[in-house]
Amino acid sequence: MKKLFLTAVSVLLTTVMAMGAGYQLNLQGLRQLAMGGSGTAYAWDASTLFYNPAGLSSLNHIQASGSLLFLTPSVEYAESVGKYYTTSKSQTFTPINIYVGGPVRSGSPVAIGIGLYTPFGSGLNWGNSWTGRYVIEDIELRTYFLQPTISYKFNDVWSVGAGFVYAFGSLDMKQAVPVQNNLNNIDPQSELYGRATGIGFNAGIHIKPTKWLHIGLTYRSQVNMKTTGGSATFTDLPSSLASTFPNTTFSSTLPLPATASIGFAVKATQNLTLQFDVNFVGWQTLDSLRFNFAQNVNGADHISSPRNYRNRAAFRLGGNLKLGSGWAIMAGTAFDPTPAQATFISPDLPDADRILVTGGFTYKPAKKITLMAAIEYVTSNKINGNFDFAGFGGKYQTKALTTGIGMSYNF
Amino acid sequence: MKKLYIFLGLSAIAFASCKPNIGPDKPKAGDADFSKYLAVGNSLTSGYADGSLSRSGQINSYPNILATQFAQVGGGSFNQPLLPGESGWPTAKYVLKSGTDCNGNVVLSPVPYNFVYALDTQGSAKSIAAQGPFNNVGVPGIRCIDYLVPGYAYLAAASNHGWAARFYANPIAETPLDEALRLNHSFFTCWLGANDVLGYALAGGAGAVPGPGSNTNDISDTAQFGHTYRIVIDSLVRHGQFVNKAKGMLINVPDVTSIPYFTTIGYNSLALRSGQADTLNALYAGNPEVHFTVGTNNAFVISEPTATNNRRQIKAGEYILLSAADSIKCAGWGTVKPIPAQYVLNAQEVANIETYTTYFNQIILNTAHYYNIGYVDMNAYLKRVQSGIAYDGITFSAQFVSGAAFSLDGIHLTPRGYAMVANYIIANINTMYNANIPMANVSSYDGIKFP
Repeated sequence: MKKLFLTAVSVLLTTVMAMGAGYQLNLQGLRQLAMGGSGTAYAWDASTLFYNPAGLSSLNHIQASGSLLFLTPSVEYAESVGKYYTTSKSQTFTPINIYVGGPVRSGSPVAIGIGLYTPFGSGLNWGNSWTGRYVIEDIELRTYFLQPTISYKFNDVWSVGAGFVYAFGSLDMKQAVPVQNNLNNIDPQSELYGRATGIGFNAGIHIKPTKWLHIGLTYRSQVNMKTTGGSATFTDLPSSLASTFPNTTFSSTLPLPATASIGFAVKATQNLTLQFDVNFVGWQTLDSLRFNFAQNVNGADHISSPRNYRNRAAFRLGGNLKLGSGWAIMAGTAFDPTPAQATFISPDLPDADRILVTGGFTYKPAKKITLMAAIEYVTSNKINGNFDFAGFGGKYQTKALTTGIGMSYNF
Repeated sequence: MKKLYIFLGLSAIAFASCKPNIGPDKPKAGDADFSKYLAVGNSLTSGYADGSLSRSGQINSYPNILATQFAQVGGGSFNQPLLPGESGWPTAKYVLKSGTDCNGNVVLSPVPYNFVYALDTQGSAKSIAAQGPFNNVGVPGIRCIDYLVPGYAYLAAASNHGWAARFYANPIAETPLDEALRLNHSFFTCWLGANDVLGYALAGGAGAVPGPGSNTNDISDTAQFGHTYRIVIDSLVRHGQFVNKAKGMLINVPDVTSIPYFTTIGYNSLALRSGQADTLNALYAGNPEVHFTVGTNNAFVISEPTATNNRRQIKAGEYILLSAADSIKCAGWGTVKPIPAQYVLNAQEVANIETYTTYFNQIILNTAHYYNIGYVDMNAYLKRVQSGIAYDGITFSAQFVSGAAFSLDGIHLTPRGYAMVANYIIANINTMYNANIPMANVSSYDGIKFP
């Protein structure tokens, strides 16, 4: 049954998108999403597999929990002065998360589980006629993490958990090539597409010093997504340049940064829980995006675009209020600062400090079933950014609305 | 259930505000009035490219690109003396074509564009003075010191192919300055002076330093240059719509040795295999100034009257003209035969060009300061282009053809190159006159077109 479920999910996982700072997504559980993305200190449901693997041993039953999200990001670009502006093409992405896990039998201190989720991704389509087409036209990064996990509860205060991460995904990047054909005014196109895999781990500790305070610590390791057989394809080239831009293969490594988190959950009243999380993200690992070609393209054995990301800390705040008759509501907010510096703002990921406002509710129609819904509204600063490397700049603003529905079932 | 309604209500509000809402800053003219823009200059100003003047070259001239941007800050129409055709007039412009060279290799090279030439250029020589006055009075070949010569268009018809005569109102009698002042301008740019050294450089230094002005291969005399330049700028400032206070930008003289025409053939780019090096060393036996080794870094042999047997190897800092390329490849120039002196700029000639370029640019800078008008250091900017510059995701350099900034003649610019020049002028105008004129979109102009 479990296997069948996962197979079905992998078919549904078709696209992924950009929503955290950098290309990090923070959509791995609906309750946590509804509370500003916080969830390191408290095991709300089986999605604690992602938020803190130590929480798995706190669950009372084996639980299956899943969610489907609808994400509609929108980025606007405007030249600094003048009249030109454009908005990225409207796209709706539907990431999905699925977790199954809990104590191996009722009352056991040992819990196991497995989760499939999408922690990083990015997608932006500017079309092929905009002014930045030689920098980027269309980019899509997808990642899926499959995480088998074990958790152990030492006593009522201490529990630990760890999972192995197998990551797989793809990167697809389209650009116009700035060489012109004397027959027409169509820009030649370049597409770099590669499937990538990587490994890592996710580990955490839960501490419950008192009934009203929970503390969580987690470390999600860096995952280096490696591709060796990516395809570089060039189309619509002037015939005299066909051998200058041969279709070839490339290798590349995209680092998905490590995240260390600390979280606090406070039971303020019988029905109200407040949470606060800080995520430290090791973005500095991304100093450039580099593609090494098997055959020289335009005389070069590689292309490389500098990023010089800086490490960043994101702050998340949320609350959960039980209303009775099976209802609970959640709300939260977060500040997610950009790892990108002002002279490295590229239109493939025009990143800026983001502010999130979130909300959601859960409803228990039957003893074993919980229905969940969440909504997240993201807005970035209006930034005047430049990508010095490419000589391209302007104003950007990102907004995104995410809605999600989900269900959990206790076995 | 009430909570659910609140939730849905909040979602609807969030949806409504989901679209980003930013826009470009509103352009502003600042202290200058761009309603009647006058462009004074030479071939670079006329839109000359690919070795000739054509209608599309004129449309992509930097003054026309500037006028397009000025239109967003109150700029008016921009009247250019447009040619009727695309072929280039009076000689065909270059296009890139694949062909087989003398060594049997398939190469891309610039060749004259001869598509229905006669039909396309019909009427090019006819005077269009009646359509004037013109906002762009750039004339290919014109020097600064020509600007006060009465009847210039008529006298110089041989050296400038009648480009001036076809649009000057009174080519027999008027000076180029008279023609410029006919517009009654509100703002001007002046990019004069390049031909006062370029003619000497293109002749491989076969001219006087300085010369009296009768020969375009001479470098112009500094005093004559300064005298003419100051009168021209004084007149441009005093006349026009704003008597005594017309605003404008003075653009300085580029370093001609930074353009592909002089940099494409590297002085030491001769590759030799073992047999070839030995044969050549035997040929030049006894000449202490010539020695070849196996490898890719041999210096070419040039003619030099002061050298042993009138020949020596060229040194770093000396330049070979692009026009020698075919003979180097196919006629043994630089190896079995020395490259003739008129295809080479030796160290003394390079020093002459640099010295006079510095003199002229000092005059231009002083004049800008004296009249409190703008100064554009295009010399410095084109050096930046030479070392490589990224713009709108395109990497430009002074590499011939692949650098995308310089057209197929190796001297003048591509439309994208002219757009970058226009943007550099705009950046200087914005600073000088507290303006906020938008930059031209470089990627919307053409670069080199490949077959």
